[in-house]
Amino acid sequence: MSLISLTRETIGWKARDVLVDIDLHVEPGERIAFLGRSGSGKSTLITHLYRRLTAAGKAVSLIPQDHALVPPLSVFHNVYMGQLDRRSTFYSIANLIKPLKKEVGDIRPILSEISLEPEIFQSVEKLSGGQKQRTAIARAFFRGGEIILGDEPVSAIDEKQSARVLEAIRSRFQTALLALHNVDLARTYCDRIIGLKGNKIVIDAPAKSIERADIDSLYAA
Amino acid sequence: MIRSKRPSASRWAAKIAVAAIATTAFFSLPAETQAQQPTLTFSAIPNQDETHLLDRFNKIAAYLSKELGVQVKYVPMKSYAAAVTSFRNNHVQLAWFGGMTGVQARIVVPGSVAIVQGEEDPKFVSYMIANSATRLKEMKTLDNSIRGKTFTFGSKASTSGRLMPEYFLRQHYKEYPEKVFSRVGFSGDHTKTIELVESGAYDIGVVDYTVYNAAVKNGKVDTKKVSIIWTSPPYPDYNWSIRGDVEKTFGPGFIKKVQDAFLKMKDPELLSAFPRKSFIAASNKDFQIVEDNARKLKLLD
Amino acid sequence: MLGLILAPIHHLRPVRALAATLRAIHELFWALLFLQVFGPSALTGIVAIALPYTGVFAKVYSEMLEEADRRPDELLPPNTGAVVRFIYARVPMALAPFRIYTMYRVECGLRSSAVLGFIGLPTLGFELDTFFKVAKFENVAAVLIIYYVLIGTIRWWLRPVLLPFYLIGSAVLLFSLGGPPFELSNLLRFLTSDIVPQPLRNADLSLASTWSAFWTWLSMLLSNQAWPGLINTFLVTQMALAVTMIVAFLGFPLIVPRLTGKLGGIGGNVLLVVGRSTPEYMLVYIFLQMLGPSMLPAIVALGLHNGAIIAHLLGRQAEAITPNLRPDAPKGFNLYLYEYVPRLYGNFLAYSFYRWEIILRESAIVGILGVKTLGFFVDGVITEIRLDRAIILIGITVLATFVVDWIARAIRRRFKLSMNDRNSKERALVEP
Repeated sequence: MSLISLTRETIGWKARDVLVDIDLHVEPGERIAFLGRSGSGKSTLITHLYRRLTAAGKAVSLIPQDHALVPPLSVFHNVYMGQLDRRSTFYSIANLIKPLKKEVGDIRPILSEISLEPEIFQSVEKLSGGQKQRTAIARAFFRGGEIILGDEPVSAIDEKQSARVLEAIRSRFQTALLALHNVDLARTYCDRIIGLKGNKIVIDAPAKSIERADIDSLYAA
Repeated sequence: MIRSKRPSASRWAAKIAVAAIATTAFFSLPAETQAQQPTLTFSAIPNQDETHLLDRFNKIAAYLSKELGVQVKYVPMKSYAAAVTSFRNNHVQLAWFGGMTGVQARIVVPGSVAIVQGEEDPKFVSYMIANSATRLKEMKTLDNSIRGKTFTFGSKASTSGRLMPEYFLRQHYKEYPEKVFSRVGFSGDHTKTIELVESGAYDIGVVDYTVYNAAVKNGKVDTKKVSIIWTSPPYPDYNWSIRGDVEKTFGPGFIKKVQDAFLKMKDPELLSAFPRKSFIAASNKDFQIVEDNARKLKLLD
Repeated sequence: MLGLILAPIHHLRPVRALAATLRAIHELFWALLFLQVFGPSALTGIVAIALPYTGVFAKVYSEMLEEADRRPDELLPPNTGAVVRFIYARVPMALAPFRIYTMYRVECGLRSSAVLGFIGLPTLGFELDTFFKVAKFENVAAVLIIYYVLIGTIRWWLRPVLLPFYLIGSAVLLFSLGGPPFELSNLLRFLTSDIVPQPLRNADLSLASTWSAFWTWLSMLLSNQAWPGLINTFLVTQMALAVTMIVAFLGFPLIVPRLTGKLGGIGGNVLLVVGRSTPEYMLVYIFLQMLGPSMLPAIVALGLHNGAIIAHLLGRQAEAITPNLRPDAPKGFNLYLYEYVPRLYGNFLAYSFYRWEIILRESAIVGILGVKTLGFFVDGVITEIRLDRAIILIGITVLATFVVDWIARAIRRRFKLSMNDRNSKERALVEP
């Protein structure tokens, strides 16, 4: 059964259609990269898919482009928020006042996986852009589930780190739908590449079979 | 829906606050039982300026403490109403009231009694004083020379500074003081009334005659600028009143002991502070006329 | 005294429906009522300040939350509980404005608690009142200076880290002060008997005569006290508003160096700071002592205080537009008239309408000092130990506040007046 099945669908904000008449089908287990110039509709598509999957009751994690972190809280608490629905209110309040051992024990390994462990009790507002992004990633990891959606999840991280993060995404989630800007990373870590341009899906092909020139045409004027 | 929440930075502060409030509550509740030695707290209506009162009543506290053999404490009040309320709430058990406040207090505290008054108090009078710029002459009875002037009472609950003068004015003019005078104010206390008339802020004022005489004697008022233009008919005024339930705390016969302590007060220094020549026994019915007049003026229900 | 100031900010239990009413009753009125229950104790002060502030906090905090970034909240797992959602993702997002506003409110609390002294609580106002009454003006000056120093240095001594120490300190201080013991019976009597209208007290409510007596009682109260009080209150309010507008208009150039020069700017700042940080009640009190008893001192004092607040805000905005003036802009009076005034006029009106309601509340309470506004009658019936009447008169003040607020809001909407840069500090100054 398809996870996502869009046929001749139009997606957009109130007055403006960002993507018109698109067809998109995603099967469980696929790793897809969305490529395109900024403004081509990647974010809109990711947000739309997130809403749709959540509404369908799927366990989805999201790494939004703006991170949507709570700056005054620590990295630990921001990550913990990934599982806020699975804890009792009282427990969560206690954990806010004093981080509980069990939760720290669960979150610490996730942070060390993406080299953020030393900052665990730093408040997010004091972090660099890359650290903030990794906090958002850790939150998605902690949340878990079958599917991960990422909107430029590694845009602020250097290449070596990015590779480790994407590797971790592969191993943690069955299905991944990622908007990326780095073509090489997309080709290395995803199986299928979807290119967006001019309100349309213009490329939809397996990563292996795709030519560099095709991709470059996405970014041409 | 919860509308506000403390910032997390002061979350600890919040917890401590709760603890502090709880602690305070804990300590303040058993305060009554805590005091093995009960203290008799008394107060007085603030009919004059405060430093004067503090000095006067601290001496009285020491005297009563010696005579009664219990701890006695004086607490100052900012308004006449506060004195009555404190008496009512049992924050004070004994108070030096005016005629009017005494009546108010004894109505709201059933069982309380007037025990002592000054020798002068059964025949107390008010002075009407005027600024000399008004060129008003002394009058035997109220006449129309004071119509249209500006006028100030003392406190709203004062007997000599409001109730009785207003009663006499209404009786004579058959209309509200607001119609007789161009402006009517309430200065707050007798000292202030004298000041306001002396400064010319008001043309005329009414005051407690003992306060005025003492001010003249102590050179606190310039008699070139202020003069007495009318003396009211006599009426009963100040009194010491005590709560009936003090005997539960201090033992039977305590009220009598307090009364006797005042009656045998002979030290002129203590007495001159009021100023009274001596204290004489009093009872609730001595102030019936004050109560009746207060009802006529609709100051009491 | 610290307890009086700090305790209130820390036990807020906002109830939205109640907030508006809590806010509409000035802390002095609350204090007058609670004096009847708790006596002149710290508890009275705390409750009197805490109640209206709870109303204010509820409103302002909720507005801040509405303006805060909602994205983290939207990203939370769909089934997250409301409470947890709120404390993890909503409150922290509004933390910064909360903090600024709370600090500002502490300053207000300081002012309020000083003012409560005038009606008998043991704070700075108590001393001030005493010294005035015995004409020790050098002491009056000393108390005022202490007060200004306290307010002026607030940013150095008021730090979030220090709050717990202040709280412990004030709790200890409160305890050591003692004061009259709290008795539940007084509170019960207040609630079940004192505030029940006298004709209804212990009466048979099924009898028609009871209700006709109540009606006579009420109409007497309304025509003899509420009505004249209301008229005078509105009179003082409108005149004070006029003075406010004039002061604001003439006052704001004082802090714009382009208009008054550097030295003038500093002097103007000091003047406006004194004007706006002296509590309005204290100003009225001082003016009453100087000008004698009439409406005039109240009008002048309220006008100066509120005018200084608006002038301060306008001056800061004028500063903001100064760099954008064209290089050949006129100088002096023409600069004021042709460049600044037209640009600031809309804001000026908006601010004035925001302050309208506040001026009304203030006009009502200065009656306690003898000006015959509603406060005068409230104080009068309290002196007569008639709390049932006091409650009704205060209720009328509340209604008047609501009416003015409603009119002001309608006018603002009609003319699309709004403040351009509403940060939390600004809002704090113009709104109640």
